[in-house]
Amino acid sequence: MIRLDNVTKTYKNSVVALKDVSLEIAKGEFVFLVGPSGSGKSTFIKLLLKDEDPDSGEIFVAGKRLNRMKSWRIPALRREIGCVFQDFKLLENKTVHENVAFALEVIGKPRPVIQRTVPEVLELVGLGSKADAYPHELSGGEQQRVSIARAFVNRPRILLCDEPTGNLDPTTSVGIMKLLDRINRTGTTVVMATHDQHIVDSMRRRVVELSDGIMVRDQHRGVYGYGS
Amino acid sequence: MAARWRYLLSEVGIGLRRNLLMTLATVVTVTVSLALLGAGLLVQRQVNKARDLFYDQVEVSIYLDDSITEEQRASLERDLNENPEVESVFYESKEQAYQNFREIFADDPNLLESVTPDILPASFRVSLVDPENFAVVASQYQGYPGVEQVSDQREVLDRFFRVMDAFRNGALAIALLQLVAAAALISNTIRITAFARREQTGIMKLVGATNWYIRLPFVLEGIVAGVVGALIAGGLLLLAESTLVTRLRDEISFMPFITTGEVVATIPILVLIGAVIASIASFISLRRFLSV
Repeated sequence: MIRLDNVTKTYKNSVVALKDVSLEIAKGEFVFLVGPSGSGKSTFIKLLLKDEDPDSGEIFVAGKRLNRMKSWRIPALRREIGCVFQDFKLLENKTVHENVAFALEVIGKPRPVIQRTVPEVLELVGLGSKADAYPHELSGGEQQRVSIARAFVNRPRILLCDEPTGNLDPTTSVGIMKLLDRINRTGTTVVMATHDQHIVDSMRRRVVELSDGIMVRDQHRGVYGYGS
Repeated sequence: MAARWRYLLSEVGIGLRRNLLMTLATVVTVTVSLALLGAGLLVQRQVNKARDLFYDQVEVSIYLDDSITEEQRASLERDLNENPEVESVFYESKEQAYQNFREIFADDPNLLESVTPDILPASFRVSLVDPENFAVVASQYQGYPGVEQVSDQREVLDRFFRVMDAFRNGALAIALLQLVAAAALISNTIRITAFARREQTGIMKLVGATNWYIRLPFVLEGIVAGVVGALIAGGLLLLAESTLVTRLRDEISFMPFITTGEVVATIPILVLIGAVIASIASFISLRRFLSV
């Protein structure tokens, strides 16, 4: 589903974000991407979204080769990928329903499809009763659920999560992780960048560790770190 | 598709309302520039009409010296009749000239009293095959024996047309400046809108909306301002036509004036220009501020 071959990315200020990373993630896997701030986790996610281009190496996502992909093909790539962020990125002037529906509207889904799928996915994330609430009326955990609903409503094959629990308390985080686990069980490949040692340790999934842009560990059923 | 259009229209509406003042400024600038542009085009058309009419009717008037002999007059007339440039020749005697003068100035008894038949010169009124060759023909007869003066009607007309041309050029120059200002305003409005919606466009890019789809509301917003401005400008031109030109038409009956139809015909041109300027301005600012 995702494959990186010897990928190196250096930013203009000559900061090495990723160095010679090779990695393969199969369909339906759940992968934690761990490492301290600045270790290259966010760059990894940006490369998969083709928000950034690597200096060298090949990247394949959802059967598509990202190198030299024409810019007009990028939207099709991003429709295969759902994204969840630490800061939720919800539109404050839209209700929960509208926020989720927005993701479908702007890729031209017909209205009946939108009307049918949005309540389904809100039910899935446990927000069926909050469809008409605005983001500021929700707790952080609920907002993140909306953001997950939006990322998942188009049934992407891959879900990328960048510190999804970074703004949440531990109890709420557990709920979010249960939700992501449920989504993973539908066959969606989940890649989650995180700092949260407790979550990684309790989930016992594949762990990829980055340190200064170098992949230092790739462990199945792993924990956050050896030393900690 | 319905969802798309609904989204687009509501986005355009929101964008225009959010910067109401900015939108108004844009529309006013577009209106002024396109009204001037339209006025320039119409003046041009009017000048062409008048030019065609006047130049077609331009006659070479060869005024005869009082001392001209009958022989000289006959030889001049023969010469004129044989000249291939000459279409027709009409001899106006001193008496006929006086009659014409009386008719023209019938309202002005003082002037009539001061003029007697013998002070008005006799003349040949020569119409030309091609009025453009006026200068050639005029110079041919300038030094002819018994010819006092060959009148230069065109010089008078040309002065009038120069004034009209200057007016047209001025209008077009101001219109051009205003169009640049309008483009800058549209671009600025879009920058403000793009900034206000940066979260929204960010999400759109993330969920895989096409670049066209992201751009379209912004471009349409510009085009709406451009087209509305153009339509108002067209309305102003029609208003000007129905007041100003109608009055002139009554007063100067021999002059062909631009018709309402011709004014209406310029409106699509203005709308097109307004829309094109707006789209260009939108695209330029989108490249810079939306990076899509």
